This record gives sequence, C-alpha cells and structure tokens, in this order.
Amino acid sequence: MTDKEKNDINLLQTGYRFTPSNVGLEAGEVATYLAAVGSDKRLYRDDNVIPPLAVVARALKALFDEIDLPAGTLHIGQGVTSAGVIQSGDQLTSRAQVKRRQQRGKLDMLTISFEIMNQRQDTVMTGETSLILPGAEAAE
Amino acid sequence: MLELAELREGMELPELEKKVTQENINRYAAASRDFNPIHLDPEFARQAGLGGTIAHGMLILAYLADMLTAAFGQSWLSDGRLSVRFRTPARPGDTIRVSGKIHRVEKDEGKTVIICEILCANQADEAVITGDARLEVSDT
Repeated sequence: MTDKEKNDINLLQTGYRFTPSNVGLEAGEVATYLAAVGSDKRLYRDDNVIPPLAVVARALKALFDEIDLPAGTLHIGQGVTSAGVIQSGDQLTSRAQVKRRQQRGKLDMLTISFEIMNQRQDTVMTGETSLILPGAEAAE
Repeated sequence: MLELAELREGMELPELEKKVTQENINRYAAASRDFNPIHLDPEFARQAGLGGTIAHGMLILAYLADMLTAAFGQSWLSDGRLSVRFRTPARPGDTIRVSGKIHRVEKDEGKTVIICEILCANQADEAVITGDARLEVSDT
C-alpha cells in the first residue's frame, strides 16, 4: 500500500477491519532480528523456531502501513498471547480490527486487536496494540 | 532454564542486561521494516523534539521476551502472555536491565499457571517498560 492509499486514522472507528496481511519472515530477516536483540537462544538458532515478537513487529508494520499516523502518535501499550510455537516456513496471516476508540481530552486512545493464523488456519498468536493519537484539533 | 518444581512466589528471574546501540536499532528497523526516522535519523529526531533517536519500543520488549524464553523455554513460546506499557523511550547508549519476579504460582487442573511482574529499566533506574507475563506449564 502506498502513502496515497493510507487511511486517515480519524476515520477508523470501532469495528474497522484492516486488510489481512502476510506476516511471515524469511530466514535472513530472523537472523537480523536476533542480531538486533542480541539473542543466541538455541531454540531460534537450531530448532527453526521464530521469535513471536518478530512476527508481532511485522504485524504492526502491516497495520501502520495502512493508516496515516499523525506526528506525535505514541505506542503506549502492547499485549501478546502465544497459542502455538511458530516454525520457520510457516505461512502467517494477520487479521486486525479497531477494538476500541476513546477520547480523553484532546487525545484519542486507539486499541487495535489482532490475530495471527498459520497455513492450517490455527491461531498461533493474538494481541492488542494501544496507541495515543493527538486529537484532530492538536494534529492540525 | 528454570525447573517447574523450583518456582516460588517472590522468586526473581535471571536478569539480562542489554546495551542499546544505534547499530542494533538499525538492524531492528531492517528486520521489522519499521524505518520511521525518529529511530534512524538523529537530526529528524531532534527536530521532532526527542533530543536524538530513540529505540523502537518493540526492540526493548524483545529483550523482555528473550529473558522469558531463557527462563521458561518453549513453554513461554507456546503458551505465554505479555501485557506491557511503554513508559519512557530508550536511547542509543542506554543500558537496559531486564528483570522479572514471580508474583503468583497457581495449580489448575494438571497445569501450573505462573504470573510474573516484568520490568525494563535504564541506567538511571527509570522504568522503560512495565507489565506482567503469564504462562501455563503442563505438570506432566
């Protein structure tokens, strides 16, 4: 999705469904992720297990590619629940929707829930991302 | 890795210490495909009022996940839950102490539920991430 196609975040209301996204990682990307984190766990190195938060990061990237986040947006909270081990080569799809949108003074709080499924349609992860957005008045 | 039989309320998880570097932030950007200039471009970040680049919050959260993987292994990856708040940004040069303490251990129908308080703090002892983690381990 290009910048021109991004959705105005002020139009995203409770129940809005994001476009499902492929969030699988290539082996090289996993290696780069582990180098960034400084992790040398055998599970990841030898057993072809994918770090769950690497997948979450990719899912968040897909969300943020779809919406035009105003300057000053803060990622304030994150929840993640693992429901299964993710293996190298799994084909992963993230589905997300706006769970809640609340106004607090000039700030908007947006909670987005997501579910990540593998190629067998098993849910391997769920989660929630909380953002604070400058209100429409502040963003202008 | 910790043994299930030795887990007790109040027990501290083995700590990690991680140095935040711009090089690792750049690597994380590549792995997550999050190239927001507040993480990568010092001048842009200064003009945004951040005083310099800041690490991706999800990179620091990955440190926490790494500690939990070290403590609980595959149980954490297959049946773990994280819920956190991002409190203050981490910056290149920061040293992040990653810690956790077992808050509760509950027995429940052939499994043990472990609830931990978790924390990432910087060298000034400011909380960068706070939250809790929960995992279930089969007793068999």
